[in-house]
Amino acid sequence: MTNSLVRQIKPPLICTAAILLLWQLLCSGTHSDFPGPIQVISQTWNPYIAKPFYDDGGTAKGLGWQILISLQRVAVGYSLAAVVGISCGLALGLNRFIRRGFDPVIQVLRTVPPLAWLPISLLLFQQADAAAIFVIFITAIWPIVINTAMGIREIPQDYRNVARVLRLRKRSFLWDIVVPSTAPYVFTGLRIAIGLAWLAIVAAEMLKADGGIGFFIWDAYNAGGDSSTSQILLAILYVGVVGLLLDRLVAWVGDRVSGPQR
Amino acid sequence: MASFLQLDSVEQNFTRADGTVLEALSTINLEISKGEFVSLVGHSGCGKSTLLNILAGLNQPSRGGVILEGRQVTEPGPERMVVFQNYSLLPWRSVRQNVALALREVKRELSASERAERTEAALAMVNLDKVAERMPGQLSGGMRQRVAIARALALEPKLLLLDEPFGALDALTRGHLQEQLMQLCQKAGITTVMVTHDVDEALLLSDRVVLLTNGPKAHIGRIVAVPFERPRCRKAVLQHPDYYKLRNELLEFLHDQRRLSNRKPAPPKPAAELQAAAASSPSPKPIRLGYLPGLDAAPLLVARQKQLFEKQGLRVELLRCQSWEEIDDLLRIERLDGAALSAAQPLTMATGAMASTPLPMVVTQTLSRNGNALVLGTQLSISSSEGLLLHLRQGLPLKLGVPDRLSMAELLLRHWLARQGVDPAQVSWQRRSPMGLLAALEGGLIDGFAAGKLRACLAQHRRSGRVVLTDSAIWPNHAEKVLALRESWVDAHSNQANSAAVGLTAAVLEAAAFCDQTSHRQELLQVLTEPQAFGPQLLAPLQEGLAESNLAKDLNQATSLLRFNRFFLGQASYPDPAEGLWVLTQLARWGMAPWPNHRQELLERVYGRRLFLEACDRLGMIDQEPTQRRYQLAEGEYFDLDEPLSYATNLPFSTLSPCLP
Repeated sequence: MTNSLVRQIKPPLICTAAILLLWQLLCSGTHSDFPGPIQVISQTWNPYIAKPFYDDGGTAKGLGWQILISLQRVAVGYSLAAVVGISCGLALGLNRFIRRGFDPVIQVLRTVPPLAWLPISLLLFQQADAAAIFVIFITAIWPIVINTAMGIREIPQDYRNVARVLRLRKRSFLWDIVVPSTAPYVFTGLRIAIGLAWLAIVAAEMLKADGGIGFFIWDAYNAGGDSSTSQILLAILYVGVVGLLLDRLVAWVGDRVSGPQR
Repeated sequence: MASFLQLDSVEQNFTRADGTVLEALSTINLEISKGEFVSLVGHSGCGKSTLLNILAGLNQPSRGGVILEGRQVTEPGPERMVVFQNYSLLPWRSVRQNVALALREVKRELSASERAERTEAALAMVNLDKVAERMPGQLSGGMRQRVAIARALALEPKLLLLDEPFGALDALTRGHLQEQLMQLCQKAGITTVMVTHDVDEALLLSDRVVLLTNGPKAHIGRIVAVPFERPRCRKAVLQHPDYYKLRNELLEFLHDQRRLSNRKPAPPKPAAELQAAAASSPSPKPIRLGYLPGLDAAPLLVARQKQLFEKQGLRVELLRCQSWEEIDDLLRIERLDGAALSAAQPLTMATGAMASTPLPMVVTQTLSRNGNALVLGTQLSISSSEGLLLHLRQGLPLKLGVPDRLSMAELLLRHWLARQGVDPAQVSWQRRSPMGLLAALEGGLIDGFAAGKLRACLAQHRRSGRVVLTDSAIWPNHAEKVLALRESWVDAHSNQANSAAVGLTAAVLEAAAFCDQTSHRQELLQVLTEPQAFGPQLLAPLQEGLAESNLAKDLNQATSLLRFNRFFLGQASYPDPAEGLWVLTQLARWGMAPWPNHRQELLERVYGRRLFLEACDRLGMIDQEPTQRRYQLAEGEYFDLDEPLSYATNLPFSTLSPCLP
């Protein structure tokens, strides 16, 4: 291992270890039902950690499958949100009337927590899967719309002047100026949105779903077995890690697309 | 001659967020020839970038327009290529792609290979072909600006506009790039307009430097021609004998502009003091204006007759004086607040010329134009200007009476004599009160006199003299008399909500408009011959003089009498500092006063244009500012505003020696 890598890993390693140690100590008392890290691992090793892709039929699947089910729903809802969101953001950014007109609606709706949408979406779509996707959609769309609109308006006046003086054709204006200068803003919106979407799906599944990691957590809670707490804690860890990976993925794509900005 | 690029009465106003209007630019008139390099120089915030944007078509002016090769500019376009201060290169495209993009979008008729060739040529021109693949973010500021210039030149625009192109760079890079730009522009021969605040840069690169006054209402203050030969090199330019003289002139102008902006009006009297003054004298003190009887004072008399002063809420007393000396004295002891003076007098008084103490005056408007004549006594038997010249060329003596304070009549006559090759020093100039000129002529003390039309009419009427020359032959429509107020009075009364000076100007302006209408001539005559004015004894001569036939017969040219005295028509009332500049050149030429150091400031101070324009606004009169900027004296002679000092030096019989610094 190179020196710099060691230097980078040392602090997080030490602090994480400290937290685990603390947790273990807090849960060591014999009267405590709450598992410490060691117990969590030992209770969930088989089958959850060892066989993430086991399938016993129905909703009894390994964590790997559960996560994939959740991701599938996220993928659909998020893609819809991205397409609709970017289009609406463009419209708002370009047209002052539309922007001013829809601004109050957007500001009100975007503060509504994802789960509050669930009853409405269930009424609309009847089916749990579609309802969950809708919840993701309605949660993820707001940051995309708002950031895209901002990006359009933030095209520096200098480039617009150049476009005017050179009399750039529409196509060139779009590809050479609008897209590259708005891309960072759009991806900021997308990055925020993916975090929100992942949040929303886990919560939505806990309320009403078949399969998925949120469902798994709630199911484990209801089952109330010996190792349910450990299962829940493990699932939480997995949720967090997947969320992080999603965020990094979008960021990486955004960097590749945007290129140098200054 | 239509010029390549023309700015025609361009004005630019901005409306601020709170609704008030900021008049950034006011009446810019400029003509630029093809291939010329012009710099726009001025303080920050004076509006030079705004002006450049208007030239580019990025902004539309509030009034006026830009005409390029005969067509008006309304939209930006690649034939007016701009190099911005912030380079404006697309950071997500490489250097080559940036230039190629411009060529692709603009020169669509070329094939791809031709465009590629031109891209490479452009980059090679600025020595950046080696870094063509890099992104702009990886280049230094100077290199980025070179790319921007390459992009602009690759398009072969008709007009190149540079907005402080080197402002963001360090001095060494700037110097290097200036030379490169100079070489590029010289080679390509493109018409260029560059905005800069660097005086040395302007001198190195330009053919002409246009100096803008400070905002608001910024306009062209001065245009300086840069005579260095092309092709130029920096060393040779710096060693040129005129370099520092020009540099100082530019810096002086900018310095004056800053002083003008910073000049504060007289401190306002505290409210208590104003109230106490108002309480002790229940009615405002009347404004006292002096005048000498003559047709030029007609607007004042008409204003009094028609109570136009009262209409503006003012009480005005007109005091009829006997001589210019009397008016001068009364102004100095503050018994008069202002007077109808000859157009040459305010500057003479302000500079303290001809051995007098300076007394600053403010000219609010031109009262009358034209109206002078040279009358020679009948005993001389000279009946024409040719006869006069013959008389003088033979070396015969001539005693001419002129008003006792410097008048336009005297200046114009001297100028005319010099133009005809006669040294004015040959003439014996006798200064007398205008009232006494006719008597002096009839008494044989003088051979003739130069004065206003009233005396000329009288002399003709009494057959004691005849008119041999009028000022229409020397400078048609020159400013003859002006209304001037003591600067101390103007400052003292400028803080009132209803400025008295503006009201005064407005009243006289309204009267002037009245005077110039032919339908009012009869009424005008009546006003002038009332006992309070000139008296009924002048009725006959005035009627003769105002009649079309008599005077016209005696003149060599068919000058319409209607234009003989002009009070208002043709923007006659505008107090034009350019005419004051001519007076300054004449004062210097005849050795009456030294050439002033801060002439711009002096002229701005003496000529109260803002007062005048405010008065116009009050009356709802528009278009009172003349658009024409070239001053044509007679016989195709022009007064060049750009080079007044050399104009004064090069006039015949000038006492200024050419090697004056």
